[in-house]
Amino acid sequence: MRLFYRYQDLAPQLVPLDYTSCPDVKVPYELIGTMPELKDNPFRQRIAQVFSQDGDGHMTLDNFLDMFSVMSEMAPRDLKAYYAFKIYDFNDDNYICAWDLEQTVTRLTRGELSAEEVSLVCEKVLDEADSDHDGRLSLEDFQSMILRSPDFLSTFHIRI
Amino acid sequence: MLSDDQVNEIIIEVESVPSETQSLPSLNQIFLRKSLAKPTFSTVSSVTDIDSVDCQIFRHGIDRRHNQLLRFSSLNESIYPIHRSPGCLSMDTCYPSQETIQGQRLIASLLPMTSRDRIKTIRNQPRTMEEKRKLRKIVDKEKSKQSHGILGATGCAQCLNSLSLAYRRSKSSLSELFNSVSLWQKTLKAIGGKFGTSVLSYFSFLRWLLRFNIFSFVVIFSFIVIPQFTVAEKNTLQFTGLEFLSGAGYFGDTVMYYGFYTNTTIQHGTGASYNMQLAYIFTFGACLVTCFFSLLFSMAKYFRNNFINPHIYSRGITKLVFCWDFTVTHEKAVKLKQKNLSTEIRENLSEILLENARLTFHQQLTRFSAHVAAWLVSTGVAAACSAGVYFLAEYNSEFLKTHRNPGAVLLLPFVVSLINLVVPRFYSMFSLVEKYEMPRHEVYILLIRNILLKISIVGILCYYWLNIVALSGEECWETLIGQDIYRLLLMDFVFSLADSLLGEFLRRLIGMKFITSLGLQEFDIARNVLELIYAQTLTWLGIFFCPLLPFIQMITLFIMFYVKNISLMMNFQPPSKAWRASQMITVFIFLLFFPSFMGVLCTLAITIWRLKPSADCGPFRGLPSFIQSIYSWIDTLSKRSGYLWVVWIYQNLIGSVHFFFILTLIVLIITYLYWQITEGRKIMIRLLHEQIINEGKDKMFLIEKLNKLQDMEKRTNPNAFILETREVEEQNPLHLVEHDASPDLRFRRSVQEVNPRAC
Repeated sequence: MRLFYRYQDLAPQLVPLDYTSCPDVKVPYELIGTMPELKDNPFRQRIAQVFSQDGDGHMTLDNFLDMFSVMSEMAPRDLKAYYAFKIYDFNDDNYICAWDLEQTVTRLTRGELSAEEVSLVCEKVLDEADSDHDGRLSLEDFQSMILRSPDFLSTFHIRI
Repeated sequence: MLSDDQVNEIIIEVESVPSETQSLPSLNQIFLRKSLAKPTFSTVSSVTDIDSVDCQIFRHGIDRRHNQLLRFSSLNESIYPIHRSPGCLSMDTCYPSQETIQGQRLIASLLPMTSRDRIKTIRNQPRTMEEKRKLRKIVDKEKSKQSHGILGATGCAQCLNSLSLAYRRSKSSLSELFNSVSLWQKTLKAIGGKFGTSVLSYFSFLRWLLRFNIFSFVVIFSFIVIPQFTVAEKNTLQFTGLEFLSGAGYFGDTVMYYGFYTNTTIQHGTGASYNMQLAYIFTFGACLVTCFFSLLFSMAKYFRNNFINPHIYSRGITKLVFCWDFTVTHEKAVKLKQKNLSTEIRENLSEILLENARLTFHQQLTRFSAHVAAWLVSTGVAAACSAGVYFLAEYNSEFLKTHRNPGAVLLLPFVVSLINLVVPRFYSMFSLVEKYEMPRHEVYILLIRNILLKISIVGILCYYWLNIVALSGEECWETLIGQDIYRLLLMDFVFSLADSLLGEFLRRLIGMKFITSLGLQEFDIARNVLELIYAQTLTWLGIFFCPLLPFIQMITLFIMFYVKNISLMMNFQPPSKAWRASQMITVFIFLLFFPSFMGVLCTLAITIWRLKPSADCGPFRGLPSFIQSIYSWIDTLSKRSGYLWVVWIYQNLIGSVHFFFILTLIVLIITYLYWQITEGRKIMIRLLHEQIINEGKDKMFLIEKLNKLQDMEKRTNPNAFILETREVEEQNPLHLVEHDASPDLRFRRSVQEVNPRAC
């Protein structure tokens, strides 16, 4: 219920209080991006895109609930790993290739690293994590790497 | 692992695919497999978009509960009817049967599970909530259809089902209620938002310890203090304000200390009688046993979650890139975190680049000697401090006899707290001299040194109390010990307050105004957690001698939370290095359990079995030993016929050696079996990892081979080649056709277009 009120607060004129008729209401990405939990997150656009219905960032109530349930403390690790993979996969080809990595690193460091450093980082990441050596990370590579870092569960978590 | 559609085409074109692994012959199939001697893992293959038939298989980790390999292909089409893509005509004709088959297979695999497992599996599916709800509805419908045939069992089964449903609902509503009244939820969120997960772990640990103390206090209060209140004698001593600090004087004759409690059997009128001796021992026993099991289970849970595959150590950089802390929400904190992350990545890169630089022998020797010297100095300091505390304690008792200054009793606690304040910071300064290869080692070694110091001090004090004070023939030695512990705890609290309020404030002033290069300080999590553990150890030690100690510790923790919070917000900056929070928490809980709690148990055991209670105060006055009360109780019970089973249990299970021997043997055997299973699984993981690498190489080889074949064909017959590829497209059920209509379609290109694609 709390989540529903948060959703409603984002766009009070759009979202009706009465959801029994299941209206087809979508809150646009711009309003979702202003939520205090997401406002400063460097990946907020990708998060909204991944969880939204059409991949464009506009979310219905179901998408909203999905997002926070996956990002909550109770979601199972594999589900989180799966969605994390989708978030980091910028071009949506189900692989994290070097370009995706570059995008991730740039957003993480906000332009502090130079271009060669960024490409060096991507190279090293692929070296470490790419176990079948095809030049990109598949979901299994990502998952096995995530399994090795127990902090992932606690960091991939948005409190609401 | 064959998740690439390239390989699919290769399978169709080139037949010899070595598939020794447990991979699917075709991607879009679900099947159940019983595992034999191999470790089990369940993989879930899921389709992410509506019309894409590519599957992603992901490994579920070793599933302990089911001995089945479950693979689900969860196509959206199986749940949604195919009406969302109007242009997808060829798809309809080619694939609907396959998709509904897969959907039915998914449902079929879900049916035989118990409802709890089913819910868990559905929850684990990477689908939206709407789809999961529909899936559950369909499965429930199917299940009810099936179970209609079995008449006799339905009544019972439905009853059980509704019971379990009610239980689950009540559990979830209870946990929701619990979360909403959970203490300090908003504050913790703010701390996590500004400082990240690692600093948050300290505050969560504090809150967890607070729960222990609340529980102990409630139990002790209800079973011991309240009955004592009913037969309390009047307190004849005078109350001066100094009692709060010294714990003696007026407080000496209150429920606060052991000495006040009566040893009689309380009886009001003709009601039930309440034996104070037994109540005392049993209450404390129950408290400690509950703490023991609670600690054990928490430790096991953290170990299980955080020490998976410790032998595959993950290098820093991947973790840095992918484990961004999503809980940080404060704008400045995010910017700072990004800056720190870049610094760390740079450091990591330079480490990797310089990795191969080996140190010269001379450098190695200097490093080694620095380590040895540091260890000698730290151990020496710890030993010197302990000896100093011991002699001071001995001298203190004589000093007190001659001087009647009430404040003089505070000398020993003052010195101990001073040692605890100064020496850890002295240890931290060693880092200027000692250089470590990995910063992780530095943290661990600092931790070990601090632990040694604290253990030696507490150990020396226990030795002093049990061997000197208890045997000194004083009037009420238990109360004296209780007072000592109370003073230690109080002094520790005062020093922590002063450190937080004054010391950190001063440090901020120095860092900001005078020596600006220092900047703000970072929250030293290890040191603070150790202080918490030290305080909790003292509480547990003193619980027998001063029953109100959990209450005092509760108040202390409460105040400390707010003070630390305020100080944190004002004087600190977020941590610059990525700190392995979850592993450290495991280490801390382990530390809480092992030296701390077990030490307390040993001390209490020695007290109860070996020491003679004082002759005229407390619930055990006059007895030859504390445990004598239990012996005499068993004796009285053996005379009554109704309670002979208690006597039997005592004599044969608790009192006999054989029982414990057999128990130990069973536990050792189970441990050995689990250890062997773990070893076997480690080997299996390694083998599977190698297999993945080999498969990757196979894939590369087959792709090259296909390219060569196609090039050859292209050269010989350019027209026929184009026709062939079109046929391949239509024949191959795993290919997709392009569509412009639906925006969330993804499309796959044919093989020839894959090669020039970079990613």
